[in-house]
Amino acid sequence: MAGTSESEQQTWVVVPALNEGKVIRRTITALREVFPKVVVVDDGSKDATGKEAIDSGAVVIRHPLRLGQGAAIQTGIEFALAHGAAYVATFDADGQHNAQDLERMLRILRSEQCDIVLGSRFLGRAEGMSRARFMLIKAAAVFTNLTTGVRLTDAHNGLRVMTAATAGRLRIVQDRMAHASEIIAQIGRMKLDVREAPVTVTYSEYSTAKGQKMSNSFRILLDLFVGWLLR
Amino acid sequence: MVTEMIIQIFLSALLLGVGVLAATQRTTSRMLRVTMLAVVATGAFLVWVPKATNRMAEIFGVGRGADLILYVWVVITLALIVFLYLRVAHLSRKLTQLARAVALARPVFPPGTARRPGEAPE
Repeated sequence: MAGTSESEQQTWVVVPALNEGKVIRRTITALREVFPKVVVVDDGSKDATGKEAIDSGAVVIRHPLRLGQGAAIQTGIEFALAHGAAYVATFDADGQHNAQDLERMLRILRSEQCDIVLGSRFLGRAEGMSRARFMLIKAAAVFTNLTTGVRLTDAHNGLRVMTAATAGRLRIVQDRMAHASEIIAQIGRMKLDVREAPVTVTYSEYSTAKGQKMSNSFRILLDLFVGWLLR
Repeated sequence: MVTEMIIQIFLSALLLGVGVLAATQRTTSRMLRVTMLAVVATGAFLVWVPKATNRMAEIFGVGRGADLILYVWVVITLALIVFLYLRVAHLSRKLTQLARAVALARPVFPPGTARRPGEAPE
């Protein structure tokens, strides 16, 4: 594929998706121009997400029942590792991210020889983000810094790329939305070499309507607490 | 005298039922069974010697025996809710592992792609 180098060929991009039938074809098509290996984890969608994803050239794994985004990412990572990935990336299905940012992040991962690179919309740009959301995500970043000891500007960005070794060490048990904090907590615990890279997150009307309700943050805190109890 | 005993007989029958259930449930843990039987035995004792609750309440600095029973009941209920909540969370982790194994066992590849690196296309 045009513009695809060897390291992109060795990367599996994990795209968790739930009812993204309207946009996933565009997301996957654009993504695959740079990263040919894409695995969409369909978290039990009620629409044509799975079919659209296969038609746009992605491998599709379908959860038999809805488990949540964190569970979908873990499933995708396990698939990627079983299929010879040297690098594993995570990428949102709703069109918020772009493949060029991921390409740049992969370059950083390779040149800096670090373990994982996380996208940050605060180092980069957040287009169309509401003020309330800005405050909430900033608060989440502060909370994550305090609880994990990992200093980041953005704690809830779905754009990540890591080495296969890192992917193999991560163990996401937060099935729903608390996985973002959980990943950072594990980065802190395993003392991984983590970098942040500026990325653009585009908030369309679609992604805002489809994305996280802000009230979910309480659920995330409860999930984190229960996860801590069960650890 | 007999009318006073109606509630005692009713409660005793109820406790006896719970006790039999707790004793015969082989699926629950031994600790839970013993705890249940202890609760039932204490309950039966207090049903037939209600004045004992008042004396116990005095020891703990609670006004009435009935209040003491209420407080203990609230604590037991809360502990049970937390226990069940954690149990559900634990089970849902197991469910996730199962669902993930099912999902990973049947990936769908787009037509014409290699299934594994180095493997021939379909």
